[in-house]
Amino acid sequence: MTPASVAAAFAVGLVLAILLFLAVTSYNAVMSLRQRIDKAWANIDVVLKQRHDQLPALVSAVRGLMSFEQDVLTEVARARATYSPSEPIPEQAVHAEATSRAVRSLFAVVEAYPQVKSDANVLDLQNEIERIEGMIADRRELYNDQVYRYNTRISTLPTLLLAPLFGWRSREFFAADPSELPRPATDL
Amino acid sequence: MRRVELPFVPQVALLAAAGVLGGLWLLARGMRGYATATQLGDTATSRIATLAAGEVQVSGVIEPAELTLISALQSSPCVYYRSTIGPAGEYPEVAHEFEEERAVGFRIRDQSGDLRIFPRGARWDAPMRYDDSTGLMGDEPPGLAFRTGPAVSTAELDRAAAIAALTTLPTSPDFDPLAILGGISDRYGRGSGQRRHYREERLEPGDAVTVVGRALPFGDLADPAEADIAEGSLAADDPEVSGDIAEARAAGLLAESPEEAWGNAAIPGFGIGRPTRAPELDPAADRSALATATEAAQAAARFSIAPETLILASTPDTPLLIASGVPQVAIGRQQQRFIVGLLGAILAIGSAMVLALMIAGGVSR
Repeated sequence: MTPASVAAAFAVGLVLAILLFLAVTSYNAVMSLRQRIDKAWANIDVVLKQRHDQLPALVSAVRGLMSFEQDVLTEVARARATYSPSEPIPEQAVHAEATSRAVRSLFAVVEAYPQVKSDANVLDLQNEIERIEGMIADRRELYNDQVYRYNTRISTLPTLLLAPLFGWRSREFFAADPSELPRPATDL
Repeated sequence: MRRVELPFVPQVALLAAAGVLGGLWLLARGMRGYATATQLGDTATSRIATLAAGEVQVSGVIEPAELTLISALQSSPCVYYRSTIGPAGEYPEVAHEFEEERAVGFRIRDQSGDLRIFPRGARWDAPMRYDDSTGLMGDEPPGLAFRTGPAVSTAELDRAAAIAALTTLPTSPDFDPLAILGGISDRYGRGSGQRRHYREERLEPGDAVTVVGRALPFGDLADPAEADIAEGSLAADDPEVSGDIAEARAAGLLAESPEEAWGNAAIPGFGIGRPTRAPELDPAADRSALATATEAAQAAARFSIAPETLILASTPDTPLLIASGVPQVAIGRQQQRFIVGLLGAILAIGSAMVLALMIAGGVSR
């Protein structure tokens, strides 16, 4: 081999090494992103389950004190019953959002009952559920951010070239379509 | 076919060889930067208050925990520093005459709360805070203030110490602080005629920082004291040393408590400030002032963290990455390194071509 062909081989080898590095890094990045999305979803699922377990205690605690507000309590119970961890993510998002709305309505009604609001047990449960609601909101944001990063990565170079080879597809956000949310009853 | 002759010039050949090596070094550095940028860019930033266990990225402002470090070259309070002294005018600086890297545990705070960071085993991307050289006349650069006291300090200075720090000159004219920094002044200090290049990277309280790592309950940390301090020269990281320690532990050769192993040195504050309890000293030795109740409580509370509280620390599969700035800034810096790395590849290829042509004696056209 002449020195010139050695130099040419060096140049080609270096370019190939850079391309291989980009391909391997991109593949690993996508795999990591998928794992992070799954983990972020699992973390949402944990708090959804926590809320599902806590709501009956809150409803029981306020039921006796708010006997005139059965509609609100029924709505919370109905929304809670829709929780199903095996459903696809968009459906779960719709149900989770509906439950959050029902819980917010309940808290708004509780404000009108000073004797309910001052009950220590109700107050504890309310604080706990508010904490869980906050966690759901934060973790949903984190999940959606992670999905956004994944979707962006597989649709931009150089990963875009690998996506068809490995069958990578966009993931769905944890967001409720407003048209699918139950509308509050209004009398005009 | 016409042949263009290219005579072999040793100086140019040497330059070309250096170009190949330098280009490859830049490329390797750029690739590392690309991998880091990918890691930072692909991890969503969590809010500290609602953090879940596992791999996370948090971003916020550094708050000192119980201790801060005093940097070697500028005596600045910080949680991480890497100081080097090398010969001036040599790039890249491969061999440093003096190199010291240290970190101590700190907190990171965002709008929702704070989180304790145990930095041992972390990869750092800290800003260069000091980069200057000895002048042509041998005068030291402005801003150089060698550390003359202990390398660690309590995070909150008391009033008396703060006044003393403001009203005391750090060095006396006869005092050579380089002697403290590893005794390098003998072979490399003043009068040697050689100019020095001083560099210091630091992360200080109040700096914005992005940390990627594994959040785990404090109770899962095997040795909080060890995880809280990172020193570049600590030999315990060596697998052979770790093996020897494990063997000694199994044979019952290790002391049961820090007091038994180190005596007075196990007392918080001993030798670096005010000890939290009276040490056992030779009767002729000077009695050191004891710490106040507040300082003693602060030292005792160093690891009074509930076992279930999440902290960030390096694990064997996920080393911590601590980068200066908010995520976008840290990513931008790493991407810049990658671009420089690609230019390095072009430099390496070009230099290899020149070298090959010189060895071949020319090119036929």
